[in-house]
Formats: sequence, C-alpha cells, structure tokens
Amino acid sequence: MSVKTGQHRQERIDRGIRIRSDGIYALMSWRELSYLTVPRLALIVGMLVLPLVLPGMYWQRVVSIACIYALLAISFDFLAHFVGLVCLGGAFFVGTGGYLAAILNTSFGLPPLVTIPLASILGAALCTLLLLPCLPLRGVYFAIVSLMYPLFAMRVIEALNILGGTDGILGIDSFSSRWVEQYTVIGAVLLFLFGTRRLVNMDIGLVLRGVKDNDQAIRASGMNITRYKTLAVFIASAMGCMGGAILVHIYMWSGISQFALDFSILPIAATVIGGSGTLAGAVIGCLILVPISELLRDFGTLRIVFYAVILMGFIVFRSEGLLVYGQRKYHQFQRWTRL
Amino acid sequence: MEILIYGTINSAALALYALGFAMVYGVSRLPNFAHGALFVLSGFMTWYFLNSLELNYFISIILTLIATGVIGALIYQFILIRIRGMEISEIMATYAMGLAILEGLRWGGFKGMTYTLPAFISGSVDVFGVSVDYQRLLVVVIGGAVVGLLWLFTHYTRMGLALRGMAQDERAALMLGIDSDRMALVAMAFGSSLAALAAICLLPLGNIVVEAGYNVLILAIAVCIVGGLGSWMGAVLAAFLIGFAQILTVVYLGAHFQMVVALLAIIVTLIIRPSGLFGRQKELEERV
Amino acid sequence: MKIKELRSLVVLLVAFFMILPAGPAAAEKPIVIGAPLSTAFLYGWAAERGMKLAVDEINAKGGVKVKGAMRPFSVVVIDTRDLEPGVPVSDALLAVEKLILDKKADFIIGGPVRSEAALAAMPLLSKYKKVSILTTGVLTPAYHATVEKEYDKFKYCFRIHGEAKNLVGEIFANFDELKELYKFNNLFIISQDVSHARGAANLVKDIATKKGWNVTGLEIYPTGASDFSMGLLKAKNTQAEIINIWMDMPESAILLKQWYDLKIPALPFGSTLAAAEQPGFWKATDGKGEYTLCNVVNAGNAPSEATPWTMKFYNAYTQKWGVEPEGLGSSSSYMAVYVLKDAIERAGGLDSVKVVTELEKTDVMGVYGRLRFNPKSHQVIPATDPKEGAVGSILQWQAGKRVVVYPKSIATGSIQLPPWMKK
Repeated sequence: MSVKTGQHRQERIDRGIRIRSDGIYALMSWRELSYLTVPRLALIVGMLVLPLVLPGMYWQRVVSIACIYALLAISFDFLAHFVGLVCLGGAFFVGTGGYLAAILNTSFGLPPLVTIPLASILGAALCTLLLLPCLPLRGVYFAIVSLMYPLFAMRVIEALNILGGTDGILGIDSFSSRWVEQYTVIGAVLLFLFGTRRLVNMDIGLVLRGVKDNDQAIRASGMNITRYKTLAVFIASAMGCMGGAILVHIYMWSGISQFALDFSILPIAATVIGGSGTLAGAVIGCLILVPISELLRDFGTLRIVFYAVILMGFIVFRSEGLLVYGQRKYHQFQRWTRL
Repeated sequence: MEILIYGTINSAALALYALGFAMVYGVSRLPNFAHGALFVLSGFMTWYFLNSLELNYFISIILTLIATGVIGALIYQFILIRIRGMEISEIMATYAMGLAILEGLRWGGFKGMTYTLPAFISGSVDVFGVSVDYQRLLVVVIGGAVVGLLWLFTHYTRMGLALRGMAQDERAALMLGIDSDRMALVAMAFGSSLAALAAICLLPLGNIVVEAGYNVLILAIAVCIVGGLGSWMGAVLAAFLIGFAQILTVVYLGAHFQMVVALLAIIVTLIIRPSGLFGRQKELEERV
Repeated sequence: MKIKELRSLVVLLVAFFMILPAGPAAAEKPIVIGAPLSTAFLYGWAAERGMKLAVDEINAKGGVKVKGAMRPFSVVVIDTRDLEPGVPVSDALLAVEKLILDKKADFIIGGPVRSEAALAAMPLLSKYKKVSILTTGVLTPAYHATVEKEYDKFKYCFRIHGEAKNLVGEIFANFDELKELYKFNNLFIISQDVSHARGAANLVKDIATKKGWNVTGLEIYPTGASDFSMGLLKAKNTQAEIINIWMDMPESAILLKQWYDLKIPALPFGSTLAAAEQPGFWKATDGKGEYTLCNVVNAGNAPSEATPWTMKFYNAYTQKWGVEPEGLGSSSSYMAVYVLKDAIERAGGLDSVKVVTELEKTDVMGVYGRLRFNPKSHQVIPATDPKEGAVGSILQWQAGKRVVVYPKSIATGSIQLPPWMKK
C-alpha cells in the first residue's frame, strides 16, 4: 500500500527492535526479551487476573461464557485459516460435548473434572466420524454440511425423543466452587491457545497449512490429505466439545438448544473482528464481543442487528481484524522515502 | 393421486425457493446466505404497501418485485463486490446481512403472527377427486411459468445468454467481452426478485414471520446442493426429488421425519455424488 | 440582581427543595420485579403488558405496604429470546442471572417462557434463593412435579397459570359434550414436535380411545414444517369430525387457512394455538379463522364474566395498550403481581422464605377465579367454577369475535359448527 505524493512514497519496514530480537539474539538484553514476551504475558496474566478484579458474580459468569466462546473461536480460526476448512457449525461440537458430559455425569456419576476431558475426547471422535464423508471434498461443501449438522442433530433428537428430548437432561453437577469453574475454563483457553500456536509451527502444522494453500502439492508429495484433515478436525472438535462440556457443568443443564445457531455464529464474528489467522485474535474478539453483547441487552433485538452490521463492516472493510492490525503496528512502522 | 398432486405442489414450492439462490450461485459463484432474509423482507414490504399505504394488491406486488431486485443489486454493488472471490468472507458477509435484516425486522415491530397476505383466489376445487385450494394450484402454475420463462430468457435473449455464458465458463465469457461484475449484478438482482416472487406466491398460504427466513434458506440450500450448485435445471429436478420424498415420508413414515428428509438428502448427495445431479463442477469429482 | 446575590438565592432554593418531603412513593426504595421474557413473541409481550398494567395500578394506589412504609414496584424486563429457534437456553439463564445479580431483582415474575429454559432456571433460582412466579408459556407438568419431588430445593418456584394436564381435562369435557349433541366419534390429532405438545397429544389419544372415540390419526409435525395438506386430507378421508390441534408455531395459520379453503368437515379444536389467541387473528386470516376453537388457558384473556374483576381487567388492559388481552400470559401476569403484593404485605417483608410461606397461603378472588396454590407443588389450583379455583377459557371465533364457550359457568356462547358440517 504505497501512496505516491510527488517524489515520495510510503514504505513499511520492520522495527529495529524486532530484528534485534530475532532468534537467539532475543537473549541479548531484557529489552529484546520483553519485546517478545510482554504481549503474551499481558494476555496470560490479564486472563488469569480477570476473575479476581471483576465486580460481582454476574460479570464473572460473563467471562466464563466468553471463554467458552473463545474455545470455539480458536477452533474455527484454526480450521479456517490453517487448514482451509470453514466450519459453520461450531454448535455441533458444543452439543455433542455437552450431551456426552451430561450422560457421563448423570448415568455414570463421574465428577465434572473427569467428565470434561472424557467428553472432549469422545465427542471429538464422534464428530470427526460424522464429518468424515465431506472431508475429501473441497470448497464450500464442508461449510454447508457443518452448518446443517447442528440443525440435523436437533431434529433427530426431537423426533426420536432420546436424551431427554425437548426437555433436556437436568440434575447435572456443578463445579465445586466458583473459582474452580472459572480457572478451569480460563486455563483451558490458555492451554489450547498456546498449544495450537505451537502446533501450527511444527511440521504437522506446515502440512496443514500446505493443505490450505495448495493441496495438489501435498498430494504430489505422497501424503494422504484426508488423514491430515481428519487430524485437524479432531483437534478442533475436541476444543469445541470441551467448551460444551464446561457449559453444561456451569449451568447444570443440557438440552437441544445447545445446538443453537448462536454458538456457530458468534465465534466466527469474534474471529473476524479480533483478527483472523492469529489464534489470539479469536480469543480477544470473544472477550470484546460477549461483554458488549451483554451490555447491549437493554436494547433487545437491536443488539443482534448491531453486531451483524459490525461483523459485515469488518468483513468488507477491515477484514484483517484488530489483532492483525495491532501486530502490524507493533512489528512495523511506516515512513516516507524518496523515490 | 393425492400424493401426485400434493407432491407436485410441494415440489413447485421448493423450486421457487431455490431458483433465486441457484441463479446467483450459478452466475457468480456467490452463495447468497441472505436469500431467506430477502424472502421475508419482500413479504413484509408487500404487506406494508398493501396495508399501510393502501395500494392495490397487484401494484404492491410489482413494486415489491422491483424494490427487492434493486435491494439485491445495491447489496452487490456496495458490499459483495469488494469481497468477491473470497469464499469465507462472502458466506459470512451475506449471512451477517441476512441476520441484520431479519433481526432488524423483528426489532422494527414485525413480530407476532398477525401479518398475512391475502390469497389471490380463495376457495378450492376438485382435481381428479382430490380437493385442492386455488392458491396452491396457482403456485404450481406460477412455478411452471417461471421455469419456462427462465429457460426462454436464458436461451433467446442477449442478457440471458450472457448470464448463461457466465455460468458455464467465466473466462470464455470474459474473453467474449461479457463484463463479469455487471453480470453478477444482474444475477443478484434477478435472484432477489425470484426470492420476492416466491414470497408473494407462498406467503398467502400462511402468515409472515421472521423465523421463516431461516427455514427457507435451509430448504433452498438443500435443493441446490442436491441439484448441483450452479445448475438451474438441476435445482428444479432436485426440488421434485425432495418434494416427493417429503410427501411420501409424511404419508408412509409419519410427518415426524419431514425435515430430516431434506437434510438427509444433502448428506447422501455429498457422499455418493458430490457435484449433485447436474453439477458442472468437475473438479469436485476428483476427491482430494 | 447582582451575580453574588443570585447565587445565594439559588443555593437557598435548592436547600429548601431538598428539605421538603418528597411524595411517599418516590422517597421509598422500589421493590424490583425482574421479568425474563421473550418479548418478540406473543407469550412474552402479553405477559409484559399484563405485569406493567398491574404495577401501574398498584403504584397509583400508593404501592406495597412493607413495615409501615409504602414501596412502589418497578419492573425490569430483559428479552431472553428463548422462544427463537436459534438461541441457546444458556442465553436465557444468563438473562435471569443478570436480573438477579446485576439488576438486583427482588422477585422474578413471568419467565423464562420456554419449558426447557424454565426447567433449567430452577436450580439457579434455588441457588440464589429468589422467589419466582411463572406466568406464561411453560406448560409442562414436569415443572410442578419437580417442585413437589424436591420441595426444599425448589420451594421458591411457583406457577400461576394452567398447565398441559388441565388443558387436556378441559378439552375432554368439551369433546364429551360434542359427542352427546352431534354424535361425533372420529378424532384426528395434529401436534407440534415439542415436548408438551407431543406429550399432551399422546395423552389425548389414550384417554380418547378409552372413552370410546375412534382416533383416526395422530400426526406429529416438526417445528418449521409448512405443509399440512396430507394430514388434512387424511382427516377428511377418514371422516374425522374433530381435529385436535396442539401447535403454537406460526405455521398453524397455514393449517387453519387450508382447513377453511378445503372445507374439511371437521371442527378445528386447538389448544395453545398461539396464532388464534390474538385479537388480530380474524383480520390476519381474512375471516378464514372462523369456527376455530382454542384454549387460552386462563380466563381474562378473552371476555367473560368469571368474576367481577375479569371485565375490569379486560377493559383496563384494552384502554392502556390499545388492544384486547391477547393470549396466555396477560391475565396470569397481572394476577401474579397482585398475589405477590398480597404475600409481601402479609409476610411483612421481602425475605424469600417468609414470602414463600405466605404465597402458599394465598386465597385471592382474582381475574380468573379463586387463586390458591397447592402447598406441595406450588401449582395454582384449577377448577371449573370460578368460586372454587382458577378457571380456564376455551374460546371460539364466531363472526369476528372471540366467544368464550367453556367453562359453562362463565360461557358467553356455545360451540357452533361451520355451515358445511351441518348434518
């Protein structure tokens, strides 16, 4: 993006400190180290401290819900920008994880801290199995199928009246205390965020990104694309299922409305606004959107119109998102140079 | 006999829902997730012209068709043109727009179940011993007319041929001097008007509610996938397939499973023949 | 006057007005009623309007007497959107929590409106020990059954409107009458695929079969289905004389219009047929809704003389909101506020446990009869005579008006058959 004005143009170059903190040179001094670690530490410490500083239980609950949405957003971002699969049905993961956790808790009596990981893994296996038919396909098909699945699941449960039907499953245990509840979910978010970031920079991550950019090249290298896509979907759905399992334990209830469209759409909006392609952007987007959504509750339906319009605006005009913009400003600067 | 007649009616309804979506996708590869929203919006517009402005029914219909077409064109020109080609963004932007329109209508006071459009003709008639009401017969007639006119339009008029060329092969069309953006604009306007037409024919059967927007979208997508994204004739054929499947399910299995049929059809299609009945996207045939 | 003198005058005036005692209602802290409702839907906004009408009336008379002071009510409504299909129940629960924790609601009246959400909200209400009176929407018998089963945990939950089992009983009273009068014997049931509708439909089928009715079909339609042709044709072909409809989705209008156009010789007898409850139904269907029967669950939602208060409420509502009471939720929400006022005054305070005890002792002659709660299940006690308990209302659309045809004690008309059904 350069603008010619007379004999000058704008150019964007990396900041000095960025180059100085590349690789092993980061250990040179505290300044370089802090340049690299401060943003990450700010996020981690900020999130860990959040439950302690918020006024009142209501806002703490809002943060828990935001973190559940954040798990979904990370999974969406991971699939969309690192594997090329647009998943419009995050609600399916939430519902599956939620129901599994509910069943494990009420029928087998397992405590919440056991049902959550168990439900995530079992749920991920189930979701991946169900999404398997459309993994070999490209383009917009995965998006549509994943959009349909939650609706399908809702109808099936309604029609067959299984799993509590439209009443849902009640009587699920809650967490032993407020703090356990919040730190579980915040811990999960931080774990998955940084874990996924590490994943996409390893070899497997490279293959996944190759699948997104040029799958024929991956195929030509003799690697089975479907296998890698399956792995990616497994990881993403594990995150979603964990979100669902935690939700069920917070509210002590599980029902077909866990497959609601809201769980699919809000993570997407958060990713777009927060910065697509950077997993942390998804988390930040959620932390912004959910509280704003709550604050706007007084406006009733207008709040949905509001965030749909904002989402549209961001997609069309500022599709890079907040975090990408922030990163750019942090790492680079613009200046005028002579031609 | 009843199955035949009501199956045809159901199929005609599905075809009307799906044609708008199929047209837009076929010409410009743009999945218009605001289709359902435009459907509901045009219903409320007709209601407004009819009841608040007290215009003649026929004039209200014509005005709505034109207005919805214009809205579609504006949406394309100001929003979609900037993100054309980026699939993820297109889907999300059109979905967000649909959401904004639907929730905006709800906030604007269009809630409750008392908004309806009057039927064109009231009463019923016996066809081969089965009683059918006039409005439903009209749906079949209008549906057939639309398909027929669409066929004629795309085979014998310049604009129609240009649209068809665009749908078949974008590069070749560009080489022949057909402007891709202009064609996409026209397709979007047409698609929106088709959505409005569907609304006008089908909404008098019941009432206008915002929730119908989501249902219409799902049905339109289901029909288009089964028929092959991008093929208009495929959409019509798929409408018949799904329409009859639904009616047969209701009669023999139980009304319970009606909606499941549509969703099942999509999944089966994707497993067996991903490009749908008449899909021309041969790349999909090559599984990755 | 010079500036300095002006300033001191202003200060004196302000001090004077601050010392003056303000009006009694304005000086006292209001009692906050939290109302989690789905305001974009009939059952939600009807409840909101009923509640606000009652609150305005009570505040105009001075408010609620608590420990010698008169405190006004104030209503905080939050739209839970829980009747929308795409919204998760957790949204509704978050709204309830916002009311309790953020808006400091003292009592919860009204919702959540969806059965699933209301059941899920019970543990929340028990956790925060907030008294809640459910007044609209939730029809599932599971609600008061849960209260009875775990009384100590869920004693804060009350329901002041009729529930599905009552409705079934009322319907059968009418069916029996129709059987006697017109020798009807064939029954066709159409229901929506939601828990309370499906449960009720199956119950109706069982009871009908035991009573000798010939049930010619039971069709369950998923939410969002828009084509009922085959169902209606089946009803016609099997000579059904009554079609029992359990549907509160908007697509019921499609069903009713088609029934009229095809002139099916069967009486459409609906229960919680939300589309048909509203005064605007007649115009909306161009009169094709005539002869439709529907159950508005409690008297007062349609004009009748159940008690002296009924028409007073009816007319007050019409005057304030410009439309007649619209359906399930209007009269029950109105009464809930009055019943709560009564309980607070007898308890002498806002303490939840004391209010619960007083609510159990409620015995008020309200808009739809004598209101008492079952002390074990906290469900309002129903009856067919307004002097005994809470009466329901079944109305039929006749010549553009909603005519109450049941119970006989308050009926203003009787069931009419459409002209093409006259034998």
